[in-house]
Amino acid sequence: MQSRLGLKPGTPPLVALRGVAKYFPGVIANEDVNLAIYPGEIHALLGENGAGKSTLMNILTGIYQADAGEIVVDGETMAFASPVEAIAAGIGMVHQHFKLVQAFTVAENVHLGWSQTPARISARDLEARTLKLSQDLGLAVTPGARVSDLSTGEQQRVEILRVLSRDARVLILDEPTAVLTPAEAQELFVALRAFTARGNAVIFISHKLDEVMEIANRVTILRGGRKVATEWTENCSEKGLAQMMVGREIVLNTLRGRPEGAGIGAPVLELRDVSLNAGDLSLLKNINLTLHAGEVLGIAGVAGNGQRELSHLLTGMSTPSEGAVLLEGQDVSRSGARAMAQAGVGHIPEDRLHAGMAPALPITDNAVLREYDRAPLAKGPWYLPRQAFHLAREIAKIAEVAVPDFAMPARNLSGGNQQRLVARREMRIADKVLIAAYPSRGLDVGAINTMMRYFVELRDSGVAVVLISEELEELMNLADRIAVMFHGEIMGILPAEGVDIDEIGLMMGGRRAA
Amino acid sequence: MISTKELSRRGFLNMGAAAGAGLVLSQTGLIRPAHAAAPLAPVKAEEALIAFGHTGPTSDEGWTWAHDQGMKAVEAAFPGIKTTYVESIPYSADATRIFRQFVSQGANMVFATSNYGDFLYDVAKRAPKVGFYECDGRNPLDNLGTYYVQHWYPTYVAGIAAGAMSPTGKLGYVASFPVPSVYSGTNAFLMGARTVNPNATLQCISINSWFDPQAATQAGTALLDNGCDVLFGIMDEAGYLQVAQDRGKKAVMWNTDLRRYGPDAYISSIVVNFNDFYVKQVGRRLEGSWTPTYELLPMGGGVDRDAWGATVPAEVAAKADAVRTKMMTEGYSPFVGEIKDAKGNIKVAKGQTMTEQELYHWNWSIEGVSGLDG
Amino acid sequence: MSTWRLQRLPAASPLVSLSARLISVVLALVTAGIILAATGKNPLDLGAQVISSTFGSSFGMADLALLFTPLLYTGLAVAVGLRIGVWNIGAEGQFNLGAFAAAGVALFLPGPPALILPLMAVMGMAAGALWILIPTLARAYADVSELITTLLMNFVAALLVTYVATGPWLDPSGMALATTARLPVEVPAVWDIVHWGLPVGLILAVLLAVAFGFTRWGYEVRIGGSNPGNARYAGMPVRRHLITVMLVSGAIAGLGGMMEVAGTVHRLQGGISNNFGYIGIMVAVLARAAPLGVIFTALLMAVILNGGIILQPQGLTTQTVLAVTGLILFYAAIGDEFARYRLIRNAKPAGTR
Repeated sequence: MQSRLGLKPGTPPLVALRGVAKYFPGVIANEDVNLAIYPGEIHALLGENGAGKSTLMNILTGIYQADAGEIVVDGETMAFASPVEAIAAGIGMVHQHFKLVQAFTVAENVHLGWSQTPARISARDLEARTLKLSQDLGLAVTPGARVSDLSTGEQQRVEILRVLSRDARVLILDEPTAVLTPAEAQELFVALRAFTARGNAVIFISHKLDEVMEIANRVTILRGGRKVATEWTENCSEKGLAQMMVGREIVLNTLRGRPEGAGIGAPVLELRDVSLNAGDLSLLKNINLTLHAGEVLGIAGVAGNGQRELSHLLTGMSTPSEGAVLLEGQDVSRSGARAMAQAGVGHIPEDRLHAGMAPALPITDNAVLREYDRAPLAKGPWYLPRQAFHLAREIAKIAEVAVPDFAMPARNLSGGNQQRLVARREMRIADKVLIAAYPSRGLDVGAINTMMRYFVELRDSGVAVVLISEELEELMNLADRIAVMFHGEIMGILPAEGVDIDEIGLMMGGRRAA
Repeated sequence: MISTKELSRRGFLNMGAAAGAGLVLSQTGLIRPAHAAAPLAPVKAEEALIAFGHTGPTSDEGWTWAHDQGMKAVEAAFPGIKTTYVESIPYSADATRIFRQFVSQGANMVFATSNYGDFLYDVAKRAPKVGFYECDGRNPLDNLGTYYVQHWYPTYVAGIAAGAMSPTGKLGYVASFPVPSVYSGTNAFLMGARTVNPNATLQCISINSWFDPQAATQAGTALLDNGCDVLFGIMDEAGYLQVAQDRGKKAVMWNTDLRRYGPDAYISSIVVNFNDFYVKQVGRRLEGSWTPTYELLPMGGGVDRDAWGATVPAEVAAKADAVRTKMMTEGYSPFVGEIKDAKGNIKVAKGQTMTEQELYHWNWSIEGVSGLDG
Repeated sequence: MSTWRLQRLPAASPLVSLSARLISVVLALVTAGIILAATGKNPLDLGAQVISSTFGSSFGMADLALLFTPLLYTGLAVAVGLRIGVWNIGAEGQFNLGAFAAAGVALFLPGPPALILPLMAVMGMAAGALWILIPTLARAYADVSELITTLLMNFVAALLVTYVATGPWLDPSGMALATTARLPVEVPAVWDIVHWGLPVGLILAVLLAVAFGFTRWGYEVRIGGSNPGNARYAGMPVRRHLITVMLVSGAIAGLGGMMEVAGTVHRLQGGISNNFGYIGIMVAVLARAAPLGVIFTALLMAVILNGGIILQPQGLTTQTVLAVTGLILFYAAIGDEFARYRLIRNAKPAGTR
């Protein structure tokens, strides 16, 4: 096997995990996991949400300590009490959420908390050192730039530089492309290949199958905390990997097919010449949009081009500066979020933890957020906890979320379960419209499929669904029409059937529809 | 967050019409209740518990220390007697709790060494079998007496020495609050000084505390900076004496002999001694003859000037002591009209002598005293 | 060979946290006992005396109730704020202001007690609410942390009360007692010297528990306090609830001040708040902001503070007692953290198999 990586036979792995287990109360996070990472390889770690990828990597980097098993680095058994010890042994990790100080420069961030940083050094020397490191390691950064001024991709590069400058030989990346544009992702891949070419290794956590196929030499699939298999990617297909990951076959094809009698109906929600300004800043410009009952409207675009503002307008969370929002012909521009919800507009927000839920509160409180103020939960000014519990149980049941204790804080649920709960909660009230912002973000293939099934179900019952997503494939499978946003404007609305993906790409970059 | 302690000590006094109506004040300072209360039943010394509630720490070397000496005198006079005390009792509802706790513990007699007003009164009313005394108190009950000292006489005597030893005639006073103890102190002191230095004046700074060495030191410094050369005050410690010593000025103190803190600056002190009073009242309580009394201990019988300091010239001491002797042997009072207040109004008519009650309740500054009113 | 280690749980079970609370109190008392023993006192004797003096006599029970009452109000005031994520450090000042306003009504407004007492209560609550108004508006409209603003208002309140009590409102019949005159009306007693402030406070705790647990308003406050973003998403009037809750918090502290001045102290004086506002923070934190829990933690604090008074004739200082209360909070914080862990036994490392 070593020879296939171009290594001498008998070359030991850079790092190996043997029989690693980690238990949380009532949960097997990892059990009996064996993994060997050899010099020169990019090793993908694939698995659904909650499959145990993060826990395993947290053990490897000293954030958690294994309950059983051992870590072998260069043939020596190690126990890392902290990430500092792991990095000293040459194992470094770049997390999904960067740990950079926004107000500091790139050079300062790279040198922060590093034993090799001289005690006294001028900013110019610090930047010179950073430039040298950046050239040596093949990661182009601007040492004097402030981190808050950098794009996400550049920030990630700083993070990687920070880790590599500590002489890391094994670099762990947790879903690194989730925050990158396709071009940035390609740049990253180039840098990773260069890094492994020097005899180092990369562990690449992802659930994007195409990416794994593209970049990784080998792939290890985790499911339910256990290792399913380790394979050469050349021997795999995306479909095969997906099956191993979820343990069942998934369908990646159009969901536009409708049952008898279900079709696109009358207009429900309409935006007329809507603009939204914040001070001098124009967030949305002249949006005209008509949403029909029983259709799925996809909103494509690079995140941050007005999608969030649009979803807030559609759900009453903000009021347009100009123009009007009409719900079944009624002007609801100033109705507010509660009235919109009561009128039958559901909203799966893009940010579950900050908007969609109160993570510290019991599951019951979170489940009844849309119905606490109506019968049978409310009676005059009163709120009836017993009825709330019944409703929460009902929602958990249809969402297929197993809840051991409804008094438990919602944050104890996995991300997928939280999302399913929120989705089901919103679907219950979405008689007319459902706005779903990035509903599949951070979810695994299985959870995404469930979510799409929900939308189909809703659409077929005559509800208008707005699906805001960055996953073009998702939009093309589900949406009837796709609107593309750029700089707060709609570049055009295309029928999804047979759409040219290149055209959408161009519109995402600012070109108007022909 | 304002400490309740600073509002607590002995100085608070009310001349309520209700309180005054039932009282007759004799020339010796003894006040008697309008009707005779039945004496409390006798107690054996070995079974008796005497409790003291103090406003400050017994280690203050001043007021509370003096009362603590009184407790020790009681212990010596009645072998086997049990005593208990609590220091630094705030002037708040906590005081009530502590006095009630004394009663719960079975105290036969409770001495509050400061004016705790309602906080003591409410407890005494509910514990008729316990004898209570309140220093500087005013509300009498059948089982609640009051006691205080006629400190204005020795203060006047010390004022004579101060006036003689002040080249500038500018006296300084470190005050706590504008209360009668302070008014009678400033006024008597300046009146004494004016007998030898008719143009003498007295400047006050109130520090809103009875025990705050740092604030007292700062106030003393400020007064000296303003040109004062003799300091007086009503503090429980020696802070401003040390300032006077360091700056080569003079000072008159309160409560106890503090000359070791400023041997050159020390003129005298208004020393108090409650030992005899406590022994006598505890004795009456034990033998079963105790009914409350309302006393102002006279000069020589609980309050006096301390032995003169080392730097006080013999002729100054002699001049002041002559007045003291006249007071003690002839009942001489210098507090005779005409006396004007700080605004120039005549408050005591010419030839009229202030009564002890008026002196006890003095609440205005005489002409020449600044910094207390308004 | 096996090793023991601590494992962190995602959430503490209620039973475990409750036991952790109890253990922390016991540990604090044991620690205090060891310190006392080291200074040559017998902690068991002292403990027995505290218990017999507190619970063994009607005097002790009444004293306890009088300490319990103000702590109940300030504890509830702080707990109410915490429900919407607000740290009302200013209960001390609101308590002072409530006492000030109530005393003002009693001193200067003649009338039958049946009329004056309710007016005093209303004015006390209004004054408490007024005293938190600026921090409330600053928090609601400018997102200024209430921690500092409410704290600063305390100093102003304390100085104001001391000023009026030793200045303009000084007992007019006399001249020197640094308080106002005795208030002509008082909160009637229910038993011995225990006044109606106690049952009213208990009723208030129950009402608040009902309001938070069984009303739509309470649900919205819960969501808004836990995650304002979530409340805005659901279209709840977060700002309005924030303002209401903070004003209610101030009003409760103000009512506590009214009860204290009209039921216990009977005169307005500097320092009437007696740190009840600050101890109320401890009461609310120990109760985890649950109104019914405040009843128990306020009682616990009252027992400790009263114990301190009982022990003072034994030569124990107030500082020692405050140290014990500090210890309890300290251990409770540790206990809370430990309740989130469990002890597990590691098997022999698998790699050596």
